[in-house]
Amino acid sequence: MHVWEVFRQEQEGEPMVHVGSVVAPDRARALEYARDIYSRRYEAYRLWLVPREAVVEVTDPDFLQPPIDRTYRMGVAYRVTVEKRRQIKEMFEKVAREVQGGG
Amino acid sequence: MTYEERVEAFRKRIQEGHKVEATDWMPDEYRARLIKFIEMHANSELMGALPERDWILRAPSLHRKLAVTAKIQDEVGHAQLLYRLVEDLGKPREKIFEDLVQGRTKFHNVFHYPTYSWGDVGIIAWLVDGAAVISQGALQRSSYAPYGRTMRRICWEEAFHLKHGEDIVLTAVMGTEKQKRLMQEALERWWEPLMMFHGPPTPPEKDKDLAWGIKTKPNEQLRQEFLSTYVRKIQEIGLKIPDPKLKYDSDKGRWTYTEPDWDKLYAVVTGNGPASKERLSFRRLSLEETAWVRRAILGERAQAA
Repeated sequence: MHVWEVFRQEQEGEPMVHVGSVVAPDRARALEYARDIYSRRYEAYRLWLVPREAVVEVTDPDFLQPPIDRTYRMGVAYRVTVEKRRQIKEMFEKVAREVQGGG
Repeated sequence: MTYEERVEAFRKRIQEGHKVEATDWMPDEYRARLIKFIEMHANSELMGALPERDWILRAPSLHRKLAVTAKIQDEVGHAQLLYRLVEDLGKPREKIFEDLVQGRTKFHNVFHYPTYSWGDVGIIAWLVDGAAVISQGALQRSSYAPYGRTMRRICWEEAFHLKHGEDIVLTAVMGTEKQKRLMQEALERWWEPLMMFHGPPTPPEKDKDLAWGIKTKPNEQLRQEFLSTYVRKIQEIGLKIPDPKLKYDSDKGRWTYTEPDWDKLYAVVTGNGPASKERLSFRRLSLEETAWVRRAILGERAQAA
């Protein structure tokens, strides 16, 4: 008997998402079990079965999420642009008022 | 079913909005067009890292240096994602690089131009990446699903490039006259290439990539969206767009502008741009200099097998 990890695509074009696993003696049986367990209500557009031993796993946080500040890589770190735009607008309005007042 | 009937059935499915996966059957023409289109995109990501690379050491602060380095790392990462798609479609990576350095395949027009100042870095990150996100956003709905999914990830990362680029431009515009001028001059250098970026206004019915659903929006529509998104943002901060004819025609509901010289675009993308030769020689040199790494890695794999 082998363990097969099951990936399901719920809609055409969407990513394959891991949904669970089945135990079966061979590929044909594994496919049937996966269909019966993970797509009884037409949930699957496509299924992938991958032998568990083929999966390479890593969860080490030092490897995946090292404690380094990476906020400078995120779009949200640049929200300051909103404030800068406001200041620029204010600056232009001030100049316009001065020009009007002076003229 | 004959081959022609199969192709016809495939074409019909695409027109109905169905998606294609890497392992699905596809017509030879569809495969060839996907390879050409995605390879050009991948080459552009890789070559696009070069103009900015020159500015890592000249960035004006540590934060800017980190951010520019991160952006370059992203661009090369995008090239990796896209080259994988091309490999899956049947073209080996060695052949892809060989064709690139020999000038047999293309990359985007904007990466054939030199950079002169920090102003270029800001304008590229904000507006070149802005123009790219408009095309890439539309490509999320490509008929080739692995490409569409790759675009989701790329667009998410590009959001940082845009915001960082805009921040560079805003910071300079708020600074001294000299800093402001740096941005204005960069905008003047980049406006023509930006207007060419989405390609000539090919009639949608003649665009084969559109017919196969590889692209989802015509070139002109992408350029119009770019103008609608950015013209106001540019003018708002006091920069002047160097096109006296540029205006929104509310009767026609579209932007009018000075028609770019499309022969010039063709010349640029076929290796006759101001920086084409230098960039390709640099890429060729990198490929030669890193050959030992590939030999070392593939050699080990050969031993293990």
